[in-house]
Amino acid sequence: MSHSPPVLEMDNKKNVIAVNSKARMKIKKAITIASFLLPGLLLYAVFMLYPMIDAIRYSFFDWDGASSTMNFVGLENYVQLTKDDIFLKSLGHNLLWVVLSLALMVVPTLVLAVLISRVKKGKTFFRAGFYLPSVLSLAVVGVLWSKIYDPMMGPINVFLKTVGLDSLAKNWLGEPLFVIPALVIASTWAFYGLYLILFLAGLQSVDYSVYEAADIDGAGPISKFWHITIPSLRNTLNVVISMVIIHALKGFALIWIMTQGGPFYMSEVVSTYVYKAAFSMNKVSYATAGSVVLGIIVIAFTIGFNYYRERTE
Amino acid sequence: MVTRLRQLKGSQLTLWITLSVLLLFITSPIVYAILASFKSNMEIFSSPFSLPKSWNFDNYIGAWNLGNFKTYFLNSAFITIGGMVLVALVAAPAGYAFAQLSFKGNNLIFYLVLLGMALPVQAIIIPIFFQLKAMGMVDTLSGVTLVSAGLALPFSIFLMRNTFRDVPKELRESAAMDGAGEWRTYWTIMLPLAKPGLVALLIFTFMNIWNDFLLPLVLLISQEKFTISLGLYSFQGEQTTNFGLIFGGTVISMIPSIIVYLIFQRSFVEGMASGANK
Repeated sequence: MSHSPPVLEMDNKKNVIAVNSKARMKIKKAITIASFLLPGLLLYAVFMLYPMIDAIRYSFFDWDGASSTMNFVGLENYVQLTKDDIFLKSLGHNLLWVVLSLALMVVPTLVLAVLISRVKKGKTFFRAGFYLPSVLSLAVVGVLWSKIYDPMMGPINVFLKTVGLDSLAKNWLGEPLFVIPALVIASTWAFYGLYLILFLAGLQSVDYSVYEAADIDGAGPISKFWHITIPSLRNTLNVVISMVIIHALKGFALIWIMTQGGPFYMSEVVSTYVYKAAFSMNKVSYATAGSVVLGIIVIAFTIGFNYYRERTE
Repeated sequence: MVTRLRQLKGSQLTLWITLSVLLLFITSPIVYAILASFKSNMEIFSSPFSLPKSWNFDNYIGAWNLGNFKTYFLNSAFITIGGMVLVALVAAPAGYAFAQLSFKGNNLIFYLVLLGMALPVQAIIIPIFFQLKAMGMVDTLSGVTLVSAGLALPFSIFLMRNTFRDVPKELRESAAMDGAGEWRTYWTIMLPLAKPGLVALLIFTFMNIWNDFLLPLVLLISQEKFTISLGLYSFQGEQTTNFGLIFGGTVISMIPSIIVYLIFQRSFVEGMASGANK
């Protein structure tokens, strides 16, 4: 009897040690995993998640960015936005930008990709060459194209005047009718390269034996394009179209560099308007509400699109 | 058979000519800028499409000295290299954890990271400015570096997770049986296998941060902190009518990204295609 308690104790001790080491292993594992994850998550949380929450918070207040007090105003900023002609106009310009980008970007780039994919020797050369504009920064593209469009010294108008078409020489970035199309052309030049690469990658998976069969059936190039190329590029087309739309909604740098939203708000989009409202008009909380609206549109579109893609795949 | 071959050759020739003409047209703005950067204002106006009368570098020298492009260069280099190192150091391990280590909430946390990929910078730039202001880091290069790295993370973690998912899990398990710790396995076995993904990540990060405009515009105030994009923008504002000088500055700003592109052209394009298709 007198010997049993120590034995029991030993057993207990063993168990305790086993439990302890198991728990210790678990803690050690958790620390290891945390050491992999946390630095990244921390940086992400500080500079993305937290500002995201802050953006929503600001939008319910009235704040000029400098004063120490913030007045809660509920949905007032959002209500004001719906009555703000310039904001609504900016939103409309975003939509026009989307439509024009889709028209200029998708089909022409696809045709170009098909042409390049047919080349036997020198495919890499053309791919690299056509991608070149996409390598440039938007500051370079913006400055370059504002000089190209310059009414006095720009090459477009100088050319039109030398061939005697003076009446066609316009102030491209200064006239309401031309400013957005002119900007979208510059933006298309800057961005189509990415979509070209995506189409070329997609075209690699097209089954060319189907083409040969179609050749035997005597199908023409256009009919082959519509009935074979387009359907087999469905996924790529989906990705490209959604990316074009999202890029168009997010555009800022080119517009800011080339027109700052002018003349008379004629090229104002939500991101330029919000930037002005926050940093030169000190309407910080109001501007944040506008940017939240833009953010919600973009996120809703992205999620909706991914959902659609997963369902159809 | 012979005629068929000849037809094929003929159509290849037409294709080549068509594409070459198109390529000339598409790259003409770049060629125009390079030619104009060697011309005086007068010459740009009188003969915009011809070769310059002489190849003088006055505009480059003028832009470099007048426009502080040297300072802008160094600032951009600081922010870009800092951002690349930071992104590689934190995004690759995080991507590795999501792909290879099992833990509770893996998917949930990953979706939270994906949310950042959908979120446009424009939606949070105002709070970012005020947050950085509260941290006393507005108008500092390290502030821009931190924010740039933070905003690059969702895509970077996503890319590295996809890269590490293609590495077989057995490799990690057998290393663990040999008694190697998780970090040792990561550095010596897993990371070398993920090299193509890592290279793609570094090129992406370089291009994004080097070419960025919005963050420097909002977060930097004094001219001597400007990056090359912001510097070029302010330079064109100062020299509104001096086309020669502006084109000098524009071409200077083009050179680094074009050089990086030419060196890494292949991995660049392939990384782009695989990154967006996944």
